[in-house]
Amino acid sequence: MQLVPSTPSIHIEEGFGIGYGSPLATCGGATTLTAGTHFLLARNGRGKTTLLRTIARSLKPTSGAFKATGFLQYLPEDLCFDPEITPDMIFKMLIPRARFQEAAALARDIELDVKKSYGKLSTGNRRKTSLIMAEFSIRPDQGNILLLDEPFSGLDAFARQAFEEIWRKSSSNVLRLVSCHPDYDSMRMPSVLLIEGKHITHHSSQEQTWSSLKNLLN
Amino acid sequence: MRLFRLTFATILQRKAWAICAFAIAVLPFLMPLISSATEKPILTQPARIQAAWALLWTCTLVWGLFTAAKQGETNARSGLGEYFQTTGLTVTRQLFEIWLAVFSFILPFTLLAAAVCMFGAMPKDPSEQGMWWIMNFQYMVLFLLVTSPLLALSIALASRFGGITGFAITLGLSLYGLYGVGYLDNMLKLEENPILQGIWLYSPQYRFADLTQRLYFKAGALSSATFWQLCLYFVGIIDIYSGLSRLSFRTKIIN
Repeated sequence: MQLVPSTPSIHIEEGFGIGYGSPLATCGGATTLTAGTHFLLARNGRGKTTLLRTIARSLKPTSGAFKATGFLQYLPEDLCFDPEITPDMIFKMLIPRARFQEAAALARDIELDVKKSYGKLSTGNRRKTSLIMAEFSIRPDQGNILLLDEPFSGLDAFARQAFEEIWRKSSSNVLRLVSCHPDYDSMRMPSVLLIEGKHITHHSSQEQTWSSLKNLLN
Repeated sequence: MRLFRLTFATILQRKAWAICAFAIAVLPFLMPLISSATEKPILTQPARIQAAWALLWTCTLVWGLFTAAKQGETNARSGLGEYFQTTGLTVTRQLFEIWLAVFSFILPFTLLAAAVCMFGAMPKDPSEQGMWWIMNFQYMVLFLLVTSPLLALSIALASRFGGITGFAITLGLSLYGLYGVGYLDNMLKLEENPILQGIWLYSPQYRFADLTQRLYFKAGALSSATFWQLCLYFVGIIDIYSGLSRLSFRTKIIN
């Protein structure tokens, strides 16, 4: 019987480069990310989405290599469903039956109308639908990697808090790499992948906040 | 089978399939009432046969191919194809699951048309009844062998070139195979032309799968040898179209 590793990880080797043909950014030193939440910060157009897509194996690296261990899901920022279908149907079709009730309860808590057709939902509610779908599709019996591209865009503070709570609870077997633009200085970011100019660097410290990191962005 | 379930639910939710189901199940009984069959009751059953199968062809080629194209395009454009691919669902598997979802609607339509023909136009002569079963079965098999790869091709072309292109190419190909090659054949009988002969030779001869006239005139089932030969021919086309579909299908659009 093959053992499924329960600890997810992403190991990026030195010299790993991302881009479309020509390199957009390169990793200066080897980096390993394990279970927990890691933020991906960069200014617009520096390669956040490209890095996520490369780790998701949707794009090839321009150089170097990486290894991702765990059940991977990449949630693109512009992911959308058919306008006629309802979130309720999306959850029924995509989420394992055992977790459906839990997903429906969260949808109720964050005020997502699951009976409304997807086409009539606001941007924030569409985002909630995708996030619930991905979060409840994780496999509890193995390591998971969730690559989230701008998951908080359009989301209200209450919903954001609810998802952060889920992240805390499942931090032992889920590695989340979250690209975002933080909106308050005191936001704690213990582990951050930063794209500074053309370099990808990893910064980790329990005391790290957005305020201390934003000066590094250029 | 997450993509299959999602695609199936999406098509189900759009409800356009209900119009096709209604057309195939009910119109064969209504349409003869507004035709000359009301004056000659003997024509009622042939009219019903023609309506049932003609509506099945129309619904499959118009609604089926359009739906297939729409799903193929949506999968690539919405980010869903990329999402599923990152979860480990291969390109081939995605094409198969979308195709299966569309086919899950076409199969019951086919059974419905055959059922209308079986129970609404069954010959009274007991010796003809056995032949009727076989003929309808043969028609169903040939119909599905022809339309299944066209659905896959429509999905694949739409995922790469857009929904309109996927739909138009496969609809054009179907109409050419059903009617165009017949005209080409007639032209070649009047005047020999090696180029047209070559085109005709490599054209999909879908007209052989249309057994409506055979049912209409109660011409009897195809001989076993002819039926298997036709099956083999259409399986060959399935192989070619499957390869083309796999090559052209894509799960994402990279800007």
